[in-house]
Amino acid sequence: MIRLENLWKNFGARTAVAELNLTVPAGEIFGLLGHNGAGKSTAIGMMLGQVWPTDGEVFVCGFNVATHRQRALQKVGAIFETPVFYDYLSGWRNLEILSHYTAPTSKGRIQEVIDWVGLTGREQSLVRTYSHGMRARLALAQALLPQPELVILDEPGDGLDPEGIHEMRQTILRLHREMGLTILLSSHLLNEVEQLCTRIAVMNQGRKVFEGPLASIREAQSWVRLRVNDFAAAVRLLRQDNLIADERDGCFVSLTADSKANQVVNRLVQHGIEIYEITPQQRDLEGFYLSLMKAEKSA
Amino acid sequence: MLVLQLRNELWKLFGKKRTYIGSSMFFLAQTIGILLFQFGKGPYGELMRDIQHAGFDAEHFISNLTIASFLLIPIGYFLLPLYVALVGGDMVAKEAEDGTLRMILSRPISRLRLLLLKWMAGAVFSLVLVLSLGLFGAIFARAFFPSGGLFVAMPMERFFSSFDGAVAWERFAAVHLFMTVEAVTLMTLAFMFSCFNVKPAAATILAISFFFISMILHDMPYFRELREWFMVQHLYLWTHFFRTHIPWWRVGESLSILAGYNLTFLVIGCTAFQMRDIKS
Repeated sequence: MIRLENLWKNFGARTAVAELNLTVPAGEIFGLLGHNGAGKSTAIGMMLGQVWPTDGEVFVCGFNVATHRQRALQKVGAIFETPVFYDYLSGWRNLEILSHYTAPTSKGRIQEVIDWVGLTGREQSLVRTYSHGMRARLALAQALLPQPELVILDEPGDGLDPEGIHEMRQTILRLHREMGLTILLSSHLLNEVEQLCTRIAVMNQGRKVFEGPLASIREAQSWVRLRVNDFAAAVRLLRQDNLIADERDGCFVSLTADSKANQVVNRLVQHGIEIYEITPQQRDLEGFYLSLMKAEKSA
Repeated sequence: MLVLQLRNELWKLFGKKRTYIGSSMFFLAQTIGILLFQFGKGPYGELMRDIQHAGFDAEHFISNLTIASFLLIPIGYFLLPLYVALVGGDMVAKEAEDGTLRMILSRPISRLRLLLLKWMAGAVFSLVLVLSLGLFGAIFARAFFPSGGLFVAMPMERFFSSFDGAVAWERFAAVHLFMTVEAVTLMTLAFMFSCFNVKPAAATILAISFFFISMILHDMPYFRELREWFMVQHLYLWTHFFRTHIPWWRVGESLSILAGYNLTFLVIGCTAFQMRDIKS
């Protein structure tokens, strides 16, 4: 659905995006992760033809954005971090204005989308009277009006309260489930990405440092929480027998590919080490992200 | 589709309160002027003396059209350029500043089409503004002055003239119609600056500065030979319609040169807008 090929963007002497290759397959909820200033919004700007690449090509829905922008964006909806509208006009009027930039839109279609996002009854009120949550719904409505196949969400959770974030998360899942949309979610909220996305890419200082399915992160390295009376002695013993590959934080060990938890238990018991707890720990996105950033920093 | 999109731009333009701030100042200026003519002894007496001095019947020519025209002249020379520059400077730069431009440009509309729509909306606004100015002036002045002939004195252009009956109304209408050309040109100038990556206020200030610099250079005796090429030389082409005999060749010349200026401003603005990155 989206393909970036060797994409570069320089703002003067500063490189915002460097050598970015990325593929967002149809039907995925794809997470674009990175800290503020990592180059996510610039990359999205290039996908939407708002920012001109210094080098490289962007394809959206099979069309080159630089040469066939109108056709590329025909079935694309986008929401940006802070939903901005014409505050002095009604929600309905805003939707009419924005949708007509794509194609003439019937009143029935506008009403249908208003109902879907749950703004019924408030559509004729001025946008300046809307809460942040209502603005977020209106932003979603404008993105859905052209009946998109791809929705790009640039930091949609920014500024929302926990309830709003929960609502946004449920809405994204509904969009994916009920409409079968491909969703590109750019965020620095790891929890959001972890709960929503099937595949992610991580950006750091304009470069992509990881791309892959979220499941692969969880499976990549499994840690076991091990509480014993003498952790240092236990680690020494298990290393001698090649049962563990690594240890951290005074209570976690990672098993080697061939070892099993029962072998660890037997070995420790044989050597008189008391075991209070042994629990497998699934690696979360936060741990993965932080270790990735740490590795990048040291590199 | 084009009509729908133009209608949308007009909704945006006419829905804003700041669009009306300048208009209300125009109407206020006209109201105060008309009231001063009616109730201030000095202005009325002086106008009467001027008309009599020119050899006309003062009773007949002190009419709503005459009063409205006298007030229109300083507005057309000084107030209109400032106000249309304010509106033109807002058109693109304000949307970029507010972030709505990014929302629009996530849609499959070309930048050129968007700019042309905005410019057309600005042109419609200029027309509506100037026509409503004339309408308000004539109607409000009629509340205090009788309808009659039109007497105009243009000291800067060194002429005076008078018109009667339907001709007076025709000239009054033509002056307003051609004042729209002045309004559109200055709006386009500010619009051009608005297409660059600048704040709305900066676009307005740049346009006004351009206008005043052009005026200063135009009035310098050393540039006398180049005057025909200065924008300000042609901006006030509407004053020709106050002359007894309309110099059509000069009207045509001014229209051609102003069309050239407008086209140049638009091309520069569109090029700058096409090349820039739109970021939050």
